[in-house]
Amino acid sequence: MLQVRNGESEMLGVLFDRYQAPLFNFYARLVGDRGASEDLVQEVFLRILRYRASYQPGTPFRPWIYQIARNARFDHYRKSPPQERFQPEMAPPAAAQDSAQQEQQAELLHRALRELPEDKREILILARFQELKYEEIAGLLGCELNAVKTRVHRALVDLRKAFRRLEQGIRGSGGGSAATDLSLRRSGHEV
Amino acid sequence: MKCDRIAELLPDFLRGTLERERSEVVEQHLAGCAECRDDVAVWKKLDLLPAVEPGAASRERFQAMLLAYQAGREAAEAQPEPAAQPRPRARKFDWMRSPLAGLAWGLAMLLLGVFAGSAMSRFHSSTEEAAAMRSELSSMRQLLVLSMLQQQSASERLQAVSYSQREERLDPQVLSALLRTLRSDSSVDVRLAALEALSQHHSQAQVRRGVTDALQSQQSPLVQVALIDQLLEWRDPDLAERLRQLEQSAGLNPTVRERAQWALRKLQ
Repeated sequence: MLQVRNGESEMLGVLFDRYQAPLFNFYARLVGDRGASEDLVQEVFLRILRYRASYQPGTPFRPWIYQIARNARFDHYRKSPPQERFQPEMAPPAAAQDSAQQEQQAELLHRALRELPEDKREILILARFQELKYEEIAGLLGCELNAVKTRVHRALVDLRKAFRRLEQGIRGSGGGSAATDLSLRRSGHEV
Repeated sequence: MKCDRIAELLPDFLRGTLERERSEVVEQHLAGCAECRDDVAVWKKLDLLPAVEPGAASRERFQAMLLAYQAGREAAEAQPEPAAQPRPRARKFDWMRSPLAGLAWGLAMLLLGVFAGSAMSRFHSSTEEAAAMRSELSSMRQLLVLSMLQQQSASERLQAVSYSQREERLDPQVLSALLRTLRSDSSVDVRLAALEALSQHHSQAQVRRGVTDALQSQQSPLVQVALIDQLLEWRDPDLAERLRQLEQSAGLNPTVRERAQWALRKLQ
């Protein structure tokens, strides 16, 4: 990042290769919209160029880029509020080696995550998938370290409740649509 | 141990960053508490959510953006720098133009303000006088911005733009200087910073008009993209028309054309 800051913009390609997938996953899990997630990743790198002078040498880069990512999302949805829609293609893809039960659980987790309020979903994603320390998340969200841990715990409890409720729903309906969809998808049928 | 107490330790336990002694405490609790055990199980299950891959076109879009940026920089560098002013002798007040002097000015004015403030409160002077003092201080800072925007060095001009962002209200003269910087500063970075600073004053008609006009005259693709984004946020009535004009310009950078088309779709 230092090289980018000092005007070697071609070095941004190295950062792009390193961070585009984690950022894309961050957005995909958070907003559930593939097109918007791709647009937002582009926006992050454009902003890195625009604001590179604000990067303080010697400070960790990862929290800085996630700060930009959060601001970009905030601005993006301020301009055009999100339309709540579930994109089936953002659900976990079926992998041949996965058991049917694992696939079903992945899909339920995906849905449970989507059911959480955005702030809880975000903190869980930051803590679980984005390789940020709790201290760094505290810096990002502008709160105390203990508050981050409390919020992670509360979000996890809510996720667990949502997940188990969805699971009960499927059992109650004798396998339910999710399981049927998944078995169809595994067998290659159009759903 | 109660679940509440475990709640403080669980996030570190989940990441394996809890020291051994405390981990054992958590494990003992988990052995006897089905709900907390289930929390841990669901946390682990999140591994089942596979990573999604960004599309292949994503790298190409990024590359186009980067090329647009580099093209803008090279074009700016190719322009001859304005000839340095002949300086047969050091001017008496040159030192006042340096950023350090700017800081010193700021501090001096602040101290003066504090002193004047306390003196005024001692003499029960009216709040109008305090307001006058604040306004005076603001004018001094704005003068400093105007002076620094004329500097040869891009980093000093960048600093001037950043100083201007500390002021809630800017004099029309300073806004004009920032608009001039946005249109014609030799550094792309200074132009981008000027746009950022001006965006804080979008309620002023002068700013909206100036920024809109800059769209046609701007040569740097990156600044053009930033201008489109900014104008889209403001959504002025004639924006669509301006974007169509820009999109039809001959020799327009493809990334800028794509951004203009994207903005037009957003306006529909």
